[in-house]
Amino acid sequence: MMNRIPFAVVGFVVMTAAAATAQRGGGTPEPSSASAAAPIDLTGSWVSVVTEDWRWRMVTPPKGDYIGVPLTPQGRKLADSWDLARDNAEGNQCRAFGVGNIMRMPGRVNIAWEDPNTLRMDFDAGTQTRRLRFGSSPAGEVSWQGSSVATWEITSGGRGAPPGKPRTGDLKVTTTGMRPGYFRKNGVPYSDKMVLTEYFDRHSEQGDEWFTVMAIAEDPAYLSEPFVVTTSFKKERDGSNFKPTPCETTPPPR
Amino acid sequence: MKTLSICALLFLAAVPARAQVDLAGDWRAVQHEDTFRRGGVLVGEYVGIPLTPGGRLRAESWTASQLTVPEHQCIPHPVTYAEHSYAMGQMRVWNVVDPETAKIVAIRKRGTWMEPERTIWLDGRPHPPAEAPHTWQGFSTGRWDGHVLTVTTTHIKSGHLQMNGVALSDDVTLTEYFTRRGNYLTNVTILHDPVYLTEPFIRSSTWELDPSLNFVRYPCGPNEIVVEIPRPPNFVPHVLPGQNTGLDEFAVRYGIPVEAAGGGAETMYPEYLQRMKTAPVPAAPKPAAAAAAAR
Repeated sequence: MMNRIPFAVVGFVVMTAAAATAQRGGGTPEPSSASAAAPIDLTGSWVSVVTEDWRWRMVTPPKGDYIGVPLTPQGRKLADSWDLARDNAEGNQCRAFGVGNIMRMPGRVNIAWEDPNTLRMDFDAGTQTRRLRFGSSPAGEVSWQGSSVATWEITSGGRGAPPGKPRTGDLKVTTTGMRPGYFRKNGVPYSDKMVLTEYFDRHSEQGDEWFTVMAIAEDPAYLSEPFVVTTSFKKERDGSNFKPTPCETTPPPR
Repeated sequence: MKTLSICALLFLAAVPARAQVDLAGDWRAVQHEDTFRRGGVLVGEYVGIPLTPGGRLRAESWTASQLTVPEHQCIPHPVTYAEHSYAMGQMRVWNVVDPETAKIVAIRKRGTWMEPERTIWLDGRPHPPAEAPHTWQGFSTGRWDGHVLTVTTTHIKSGHLQMNGVALSDDVTLTEYFTRRGNYLTNVTILHDPVYLTEPFIRSSTWELDPSLNFVRYPCGPNEIVVEIPRPPNFVPHVLPGQNTGLDEFAVRYGIPVEAAGGGAETMYPEYLQRMKTAPVPAAPKPAAAAAAAR
């Protein structure tokens, strides 16, 4: 029995692979790595375009301003007790620059393949780095950016689409193992129990290149329901505007 | 171990394919971002909007009193705003099937407040000529790019971008990307307006499928129109240039530089963080004034 289970698993995987091959149009050879299999290209230099939640992203909001975030009573209590000076004194300056908020930070991100199965994202805000690992993610140390497992999702068309399926898709990333951090600069908390699921899409529109990331945060400690936001980035010609800065939160103006 | 490695490698290459996407259903808005902008914003709050000087001037001449004019009371949100407003707090989407071919030729969707309803044609028809009539919901065509429904809308009446006078011209074009993931539906929209915007304006909204939704009606017609404020016939409430005394309210309340509150493309980008470190911030209101304002 023990010998038969792995073969069953392998058989299932081979069938899945065959199905995926069929989606790609049959005779083409299987890509040997995640970079070769990429249905969309996310590499390059990107700038966040802050047209949404401006007052919570470009400015440090007042303590207790967590409108829109579905916090539990415990989460609200923690947000109400936010103390920037204490964070700085305790070496927790990067709490607002963790994986739960780094994509919302105004700034730039450079994306490149670190190796054929690891997509690396470098952020100038807080000088942070995320590594999106395809296949499996080592259970590394708990960190601000956590451990991210990535998969490409090849997609078929929607109802009403004409026959013939173009090869396209998105990037799904699941992140766990993060240090507790803040969804917003003013101490709106997430815990180390959070599971962050992200979907990256690419759009080309009237000469501009965009990627958007839809993030679904689930946190049994501080969220009463999944917290969902979508963030957009525009492609730049090069990385010349990338200027790393330390983790630093300015006090609220009011 | 060897078997597991083989499995891992095969999974890596075997990217799963999703089922065909269907947007039909009743959807409830997930309002976790831009909460204020959807429900109402302050006069003078134009942050993050790439306004032209003309767009700012027009916004500054607006007054909420315009909404009380009988001729304006039943104006629905145009498609450029409806998709991100409480008009779509509840949204119903359904497919239109050609009875002859049984093929889906269009998607229709409808909101609640003022009941904005639109058709997204999937049958490859062209957009009408430029001189064709413009409507609040415009003329939309869509195509599936994999899991993403890309929609292009033209022929939109001149309307608003948000509910504080920020306007769009009837030259505006709208590109939308509808994406369904499980029970979530996201619409990322990009606006181009050569009159009032200096560059594309992007934003997003998300809904969650809710089959138990009690879809409410909020129609507006002759029976709903009332004279809220007696005025001379044909009077249009307005504020003349330079006379709007409420423009600082947003900046004062949140301690933001007045120039930032006035928007412009530069306020959309990270470099503006540096600018805000030196730009003057208006003084906080005195407690008595703040209390009076709150009343």
